Amino acid sequence: MAKALEEPVFLGIGELAAGRFPERSFMEALTDVAIMALDDAGLKPQEVDMLMLAPCLHSMEDQADLIFSRVVEDLGLSGTVKANMMIHSGGSTSDNLARLAASVIATGEAETVLVVQTDRWGSADLNAMIDMLTFNGIPREWERPAGQNFNAIGALLTRRYMHESGATEADMASICVALREWAQLNPNAMFRGKPLSVEDVLRSKVVADPLHSLECPMMGDGATAFVMTSERKARSLTDRPLVRIAGSGGVVTHFSLAQEADLATLGWPGAATQAYAEAGWGAEEAQFAQVYDSYPVILAIAVEGLGIAPKGEAAKRFAAGDYSPGGKFPINTNGGILSGGHIALGGGMALLIEAVRQLMGRAPAERQIAGARRGIVGGTGGSYSDAQVLLLERLD
Amino acid sequence: MSLATDFQEQLAKGELHVQLCNSCGARQMYPRQRCLTCYSKDLGWARASGRGRLLSYTVVRAAPPTAFREDVPYGLGIVKLEEGPQLLARLTPGADGEFADYRCDGAVVFAPADGPEIENRPVAWFAPANTD
Repeated sequence: MAKALEEPVFLGIGELAAGRFPERSFMEALTDVAIMALDDAGLKPQEVDMLMLAPCLHSMEDQADLIFSRVVEDLGLSGTVKANMMIHSGGSTSDNLARLAASVIATGEAETVLVVQTDRWGSADLNAMIDMLTFNGIPREWERPAGQNFNAIGALLTRRYMHESGATEADMASICVALREWAQLNPNAMFRGKPLSVEDVLRSKVVADPLHSLECPMMGDGATAFVMTSERKARSLTDRPLVRIAGSGGVVTHFSLAQEADLATLGWPGAATQAYAEAGWGAEEAQFAQVYDSYPVILAIAVEGLGIAPKGEAAKRFAAGDYSPGGKFPINTNGGILSGGHIALGGGMALLIEAVRQLMGRAPAERQIAGARRGIVGGTGGSYSDAQVLLLERLD
Repeated sequence: MSLATDFQEQLAKGELHVQLCNSCGARQMYPRQRCLTCYSKDLGWARASGRGRLLSYTVVRAAPPTAFREDVPYGLGIVKLEEGPQLLARLTPGADGEFADYRCDGAVVFAPADGPEIENRPVAWFAPANTD
């Protein structure tokens, strides 16, 4: 099986605008973003050895098509591609996809892997999606009968975080404002052109105390893709900067939210320690972070566990502007999920792709981080059941 | 009988039980197929004291799952029982229908719902503990 140890690298990325695009069909978006990533990589579709798909959550039927190789036919890969598979860990899917794509490339199982994600959350029925989500990470016997749902999960974590950190409702709201400022610099963001203030957030309806409606993610349609290959193959194609995974770490802490022992910490410190040890560098040596943010508290807890802010300080530092455009340390430079749009498993993908884009020096000028060489990527799925960390590095 | 059925029948009798390992005596929640201390399958139930600490809480006021539209607003809390195990609970509202008496780390006590309610929603209910 394993022949040589290759260095896996990110070579190409693709992303469609997030938002409400009812006329953009699922397969049109999926093939468009796949071809976009392949063109970006300078590859023909037939050079893909393995196809790894993120699930779509808007339709079980579309998801089944992906599992059973619909994309192989639609991209003309019949007979040339070695394997078609789906990887699913909820919001951390993109991190696990990158980790697994890198592993098969490193061992020689595949030379080139195409990873594709598409979802139509924005065009789906909102109430149907709220109901569907209660079947994705909420225990049916123990929590669903009580009325548990994802906004309540976000609220329960927010309440505990505020209790332990002393962060105020205004501090939590400022996280949304920082992300909205970044989204103004991203043409693909769902909330570009829609400014937001702390007062706007605090005036919005309370959905689940202490969480306001403008602190809840807005579902969007979206499509994301990336191509990974061996450094050797990539160097034969381009002189552009490449991106490698310098370190990774992960901890799975729970399935049921109420079984989490440390609600204001989650699995981040353990995952971060593993990743920094492997990379040989720490948070202070990175130039930015792109971290899962389906609620403000999710980002605050992660930023602390990743060692970017001291324990209990992340929300206050967001309020001070430290992580906004022009601040001390850029976080979620695409606007994140809260202002980029929650495009299901593409929320994490978009953050990962943004990290790759920044390290390649190919972000639009108004948000390109000068001298970006190292970036932190964090993801988490289900009821924030796991913490996954990828540390990315530019390879010139 | 499933673990959930056993647990719900105890709730219907107004009792809160946690899973007890007959081999090593460990108590755990949620109920599992195996004791997570010694991995025995010889598991039974132990009645809980009903006293605990509220780790966090929320009041769902909008956008609930469809089946819970009539319940809004409703209180949810994560309770750490004095025996150690944790569980998600519904919170009993005050006389005004609100939830102002709950605090993170506040003392709470099992307050079983009445028959029709427990039949409708087979979950544990908790209320603020009288700490006078």
